[in-house]
Amino acid sequence: MVAETNESTVAGSSTGNILEARDLSVRFPIVDGPDVYAVRNFNLAVKPGEFVGLMGEPGCGKSTAAMAFLGLVRPPGVIESGKVDFLGNDIFKMEEEAARQMRGRDIGMIVQNPRYSLHPMMRVGDQIANVYRAHNDVSKKDAWNHAIDMLRMVGINDPDRRVKAYAHELSSGMAQRVLIAIALSSTPKLLIADEPTSGLDVTIQAQFLDQMWDSCRQTNSAVVLVTQDLGIVANYCDRVVIMHEGTIVEDADVYTFFKSPQHEYSRRILNLQREAQEAGESVLGKIDRNAAPIVEVKDMSKLFPIRASESKVHAAEHVDFELRPGECLGLVGESGSGKTTIGRCVLRLVEPTQGEIIFRDRNIADIRRNEFRKFRGNLQIVFQDPLDSLNPRWTVHQVLSEPLKLHTELSGQAKEDRISELLDLVGLEPSMRFALPREMSAGRQQRASIARAIASNPDFIVLDEPTSALTPETTAEIIRLLMDLSAKLGIAYLFISHDLTTVKYICHRVVVLYLGQIVEVGTKDQVFNHPRHPYSRALLASHLFPDTTNRRVDRAVRETLEGEIPSPITENLPKGCYLYGRCPSQVDKCRDMPQELAVLDDGRSVRCWRVAEGDLPEEPAAH
Amino acid sequence: MNETTNPPGHTPTPEDIDQHIEPHMMIETVPTKRKIDLVRKFKEEKLFAFGVTIVALAIFLAFFGPVISPYDPNFATGNVSVGPPNILDWPGLFIDTVFLGADPPHWFGTDNSGLDIFSRTISAPRTDLQIALIAALLSMAVGTILGLLAGFFKNFLTEILMRTSDLLQAFPVFITAMILVALSGRSTGNIVVALTIVYMPIFIRLTRAEVLGQMPRGYVEAARAVGNSEFAVAFRHVLPNSLVPSLIQLSTTVGFAILLTSGLSFVGAGVRPPTAEWGLMIALGAPQIILGEWWQSIFPGVAISLTIFGFAAVGHGLEEDYR
Repeated sequence: MVAETNESTVAGSSTGNILEARDLSVRFPIVDGPDVYAVRNFNLAVKPGEFVGLMGEPGCGKSTAAMAFLGLVRPPGVIESGKVDFLGNDIFKMEEEAARQMRGRDIGMIVQNPRYSLHPMMRVGDQIANVYRAHNDVSKKDAWNHAIDMLRMVGINDPDRRVKAYAHELSSGMAQRVLIAIALSSTPKLLIADEPTSGLDVTIQAQFLDQMWDSCRQTNSAVVLVTQDLGIVANYCDRVVIMHEGTIVEDADVYTFFKSPQHEYSRRILNLQREAQEAGESVLGKIDRNAAPIVEVKDMSKLFPIRASESKVHAAEHVDFELRPGECLGLVGESGSGKTTIGRCVLRLVEPTQGEIIFRDRNIADIRRNEFRKFRGNLQIVFQDPLDSLNPRWTVHQVLSEPLKLHTELSGQAKEDRISELLDLVGLEPSMRFALPREMSAGRQQRASIARAIASNPDFIVLDEPTSALTPETTAEIIRLLMDLSAKLGIAYLFISHDLTTVKYICHRVVVLYLGQIVEVGTKDQVFNHPRHPYSRALLASHLFPDTTNRRVDRAVRETLEGEIPSPITENLPKGCYLYGRCPSQVDKCRDMPQELAVLDDGRSVRCWRVAEGDLPEEPAAH
Repeated sequence: MNETTNPPGHTPTPEDIDQHIEPHMMIETVPTKRKIDLVRKFKEEKLFAFGVTIVALAIFLAFFGPVISPYDPNFATGNVSVGPPNILDWPGLFIDTVFLGADPPHWFGTDNSGLDIFSRTISAPRTDLQIALIAALLSMAVGTILGLLAGFFKNFLTEILMRTSDLLQAFPVFITAMILVALSGRSTGNIVVALTIVYMPIFIRLTRAEVLGQMPRGYVEAARAVGNSEFAVAFRHVLPNSLVPSLIQLSTTVGFAILLTSGLSFVGAGVRPPTAEWGLMIALGAPQIILGEWWQSIFPGVAISLTIFGFAAVGHGLEEDYR
């Protein structure tokens, strides 16, 4: 895998390593308290062309370590000891000017949050050219042309036009690619990427990482990828380095790591995911497929008016689905596909424009809001950001008392007992009873939020990305908890998520959304293992599962979607199939032919005429 | 989990915000004490300590000023236009008065009618503070509720409310208050009402702005999802989370209300003479300054300045902690 020869790199280093950090320690002095070592006795060697994944929980020092490779540290931190050899030169001993020359030319850096990292008042071409000219003696014109070449290399369509764009004119996916273009403009020998894809959609993430992978393989650059995502590591990295409390606790080949993780932290994450999956499957067996649906959504649409404009935002269009008691239905799609709006509409936190919501044979879509409040005890929701969704001034006790007061007759000791029972159900310690949200960890906050949702014994809970603000470890714990609760209490979940890994673990059926339309509905096995709609196929192929058996970089064809999801405003929407323009299987007819959801023989529904007519044969899934 | 890469004082990066759970926040036990340590703050912040001292003194005088004053503040002594004794004689006079039972001297002198300035200066807080505190509290109570409604229910009615408060704010506070008192008559009650009306728009605006900031927060939607009525969401959830700016403003407003009370008396639209009141004392003493009788206006003037400064310092000190 690893390219071993590269004249320029080997020349400077005796060991053949491009970067060698030895015994690196970074200390942060704390005003009232003992000093904190963010990085302690850190040893790492990176070979030319190698992809190293640096993983760990938040606050373990992985970003600080990555910055220290460049000889940088955030104030008031200090690099206490150790040395970083880059091509045989000790970075800490270099003259500031020489170090500056080296950064950008030999070491590129990509940070997260691309929008904030680009200069808002300079054309992107100038930003690339400036970095290039700072390190290479070329004319302005050559640098500008180089910028265009770089943009073309990172896969930006129409680079001649985009090179003149300002940061605000680019989507975040494109801005992120401009950052790679800047980082790669002088063909660095090492690229440090600090969570480069956090906040990007899976399809964009895959496009981006593919691009980074290809570009670095072309130039034989080594990459240190700081991330929390097991999927990225499994699919792109050659080596995994796990950090815990500032030190490296595991350093292994990616295959070995996923097969037999050594350190307890890694093992815990992988185990929790396995347990959650098993729990999900055990619940699946208990569902009565012939039971009457508990919640049925029929032909629901939500259009948001745009102020001072005729056009509307089509957040959801003609959505139909149903849930049986105890079932977990996954709602997946990129951001902007209307997942969250649908979840809100079902609970009437947002009023649907049209359609029916049938809860136990009663249409609750058009009853009065005051009357609807009575149903809230049965229909609950868990929000994405646990800290934000809890009243900052209320203790857990107060938070849990509220639904009990509103929907039950409990009072006095009975109420206190019920609160203790709820805390026990969600795995919160009794000592957390009087804690304020900000005094708890994110995992505990989400547990409190779940306790609030189940307090009134609901039959149906909308889970609106309940794990996207959490670390992988906490995510696995929360998923585990949700499955246990479903098994114990028989609650039906509408699980909204863009994280297909979690959906795969716990959902029984899956709805795939694109631009507010359902494009495919099927069982988990149908959608995940044999997706039919071109969009589902691309989405699943783009998603990075934490599994090394079918790495994305090893696939012959890396299936993906062109471009990005358009904004769903009336005039933007395609006349025919909404996927037209991004679809790999499109034909001319698709452009003007509106698509209907058709039921296939195996019971799933697909919104694609080519699939319905058997034009697109079922292919084995990519994983 | 005691490790941290985020020492105090460093600006939050996007990463910190993304993972808004910094490890050092994950504490295993729930703190029993959550309030700001006022005692420690008092010791460490000189300005705040000074402000608290003055406010405490003003409140003490509001209760006990007339009781401890050496002369009846509203009863002429017969010694007309007496200047204050030389500052160097004060210790001697103090000992004479307290231990030897001599008649108390006129520490700050007397005015044209023979009223003792010192007694009147320390008795005045009862009038000034009473009017200012009641007015400030009333305007805060009414203002926050109106502001909450204006921010929470954005409709035609609340728009009218906001435009009305714009209109009120368009005139100088002093002019509006003067007109209101002139129209309704010079009584303590009317002054309180006038002050309440002129200071209300500040609280309406502050609360409305804060409510608008709270509305997109998740807990508001969560409160609806739990099954609260709109009013319960507004008053039980949003209001307590929108109060802090108003509470900070309250302290400053009390200070300004004292100034306005005195100002109204100064121009003759305030309390009636001979009530002991700082503004009135300055008004009565002002013409005498040209005759060299500076003491009649200076002492109440200093008292007003100090009081306003004290309230402002307290407000400023609290603001720093709550932001």
